[in-house]
Amino acid sequence: MTADAATPLAVGAEPAGAAERRDARRHLVLLLPALLTLGAFFVYPLLGILVRSVDKNGYTLESYRQVFRTGVYLTVIGLTFRTATIVTLICLLVGYPLAYVLATVRPRLARWLTIIVVLPFLTSIIVRTYAWMVLLGRNGVVNQYLVAAGLTPAPLPLLYNQAGVVIGMTYVLLPFMVLTLASVMQGIDPAFLRAAHSLGASRLQAFRRVFLPLSIPGVAGGALLVFILSLGFYITPALMGGPSDVMIAMLIEREVEFTLNWSFASALGSILLVLTLAAFVVYYRLMRLERLFEGAG
Amino acid sequence: MSQPDRERTAPIHANAVSRRRFLAGATGLLAAATAPVVLIRRASAAGKIVVRTIGGAYEEATVKSVFEPFTKATGIEVVKAPATLGKLLAMFESGNIELDVVDAGELGMISLSQKGALEKIQYKGWKHSNPDDMDPFIRRDDMVGDIYFSSVLGYNTQAFPSGKHPRSWAEFWDLKRFPGPRMLADLASGNVDLEFALLADGVAKDKLYPLDIERGFKSLDRVRSAIRKFWDTGALSAQMLADKEVVLGSIWNGRLQAVADKGAPLAIEWNEASLQSQYWGVLKGAKHAEDAQRFVDFACQPELQANLAKLIPYGPTNRQAFKSIPADVAARLPSSPEYRAKAFLQNGKWWADNRAKVSERWSQWLLQKG
Repeated sequence: MTADAATPLAVGAEPAGAAERRDARRHLVLLLPALLTLGAFFVYPLLGILVRSVDKNGYTLESYRQVFRTGVYLTVIGLTFRTATIVTLICLLVGYPLAYVLATVRPRLARWLTIIVVLPFLTSIIVRTYAWMVLLGRNGVVNQYLVAAGLTPAPLPLLYNQAGVVIGMTYVLLPFMVLTLASVMQGIDPAFLRAAHSLGASRLQAFRRVFLPLSIPGVAGGALLVFILSLGFYITPALMGGPSDVMIAMLIEREVEFTLNWSFASALGSILLVLTLAAFVVYYRLMRLERLFEGAG
Repeated sequence: MSQPDRERTAPIHANAVSRRRFLAGATGLLAAATAPVVLIRRASAAGKIVVRTIGGAYEEATVKSVFEPFTKATGIEVVKAPATLGKLLAMFESGNIELDVVDAGELGMISLSQKGALEKIQYKGWKHSNPDDMDPFIRRDDMVGDIYFSSVLGYNTQAFPSGKHPRSWAEFWDLKRFPGPRMLADLASGNVDLEFALLADGVAKDKLYPLDIERGFKSLDRVRSAIRKFWDTGALSAQMLADKEVVLGSIWNGRLQAVADKGAPLAIEWNEASLQSQYWGVLKGAKHAEDAQRFVDFACQPELQANLAKLIPYGPTNRQAFKSIPADVAARLPSSPEYRAKAFLQNGKWWADNRAKVSERWSQWLLQKG
């Protein structure tokens, strides 16, 4: 606390190195609660999972061997990554224009729109998923309208297949995409666009060459967030998917709750973690994500 | 399992120590802040038991027919706590057992039993119920049956008027004679409907176990194209039948009955039903073990079981209970003599021993191009 008050004076008086060290110490103190919480409730249990994956009354790689013995688990992980990619792309397609509107309308209207975007979070995910099932079912509201309007001769298969999973997951994850995008877009100075116009750019050119590149950190951040959240989805695919829409979290849950093979469940979880980190590294390189973490938005 | 007496006297003490050590391991500040809370909780802990409940209409019925009468008779408060099987086992492993009494299906109970997480039932000390009245099948060392329920063939009476509906699993498998979307159980519900698949393939009811897994999955191949969804929770199965997403399906009898009683055009075919049992058990290391044993004794009384059956169509395990059950209620119970003769008893032990094998095969089967 006393260091706080002294800092402004100290900067001029002391060598830069000492001030930096003091700053670093102060940051550490500020970060401490977060680090302790992460350590106790994330890192420690995670290590527990890693240990459990090789511990079956003695240390063994049996659980990992079991994963690779048949192709099933890798196939399911592949399906999980595919579904996550599809959901991320659709969230981006739907979310980008929505975020653009949010970022460019009058602030009062923007506030209301933000509340509407966040509103679904106030209800339990199970309730929301069941609501979708009522809407999308063979005799659901959507199909009744489509058939009555003559748009389709027979009810469309919107539920209990991959379409159902993608619709349900997109709905749940869209706010993450929109909020991330909008926060970056709101930071784009409208003066840049006015400058582009004054230099003779059309609206489309100004968007494409000025706004879009500046919004890329939001795209990268939103997509990353949605993709990683998608990988762990369980309730939506279990309720809205068809027989072959199996995601890895469903198998892990089954190993925990049904087969009671916690070592195997831990091995599956660890493999998912490693693959997710690998995907993150590739993505980091591709999107030059360091710009995002430097606060380029 | 081998030393229940020693275990029984130890738990409260052992638990307090492990909790204190845990707190000491955390920061001193945290320990100081929580210690009074812990003490208060332990002081008020006298005169209550914590029972694992599973929600839904069944929970409401047990509260009215068992929990409330128990509290009235003994003054012991019954606290409801939801917990999955995984959570119960995690509690047992960590030694911090927050529950006293478990109410769970046969497979779950056998799992707990195999891990040594269940206390022996103190039949000798029973005062309220007579152990000899309990059905021998569900009277076991460390668990005692509380209800019978069935997985039955449910059908929509608008699609198939009663009398023209499928009367066996072989007919359920006949997609030409009985067209329409169907559902069967997902492994996450507790079991795959392998028994029904084998019955459909011509295996006799009394020759089912040990199940021929490969033959069962081959049989499932033949019906797969008509399966819209494999259900994993009772709520989902009821919703799919009520919404006419499917017109035929395997479903727990109580779930179907609840929707049918609200006016949905649904009915049950009791032939070849899979009769299953659910159990009371006392967790090893329970903080209120003595009261928990007393609760189990109390809950097994025939009159209480009869009252439960009037609220929800699950059958009694005390053989004296049918005396207090009116005929119209008995006609809805899966363990009534008439339906019991048509059904087969599911073998939870087989499922417990083979779940890893079935689990992997089930994933493979789901991912096949159907």
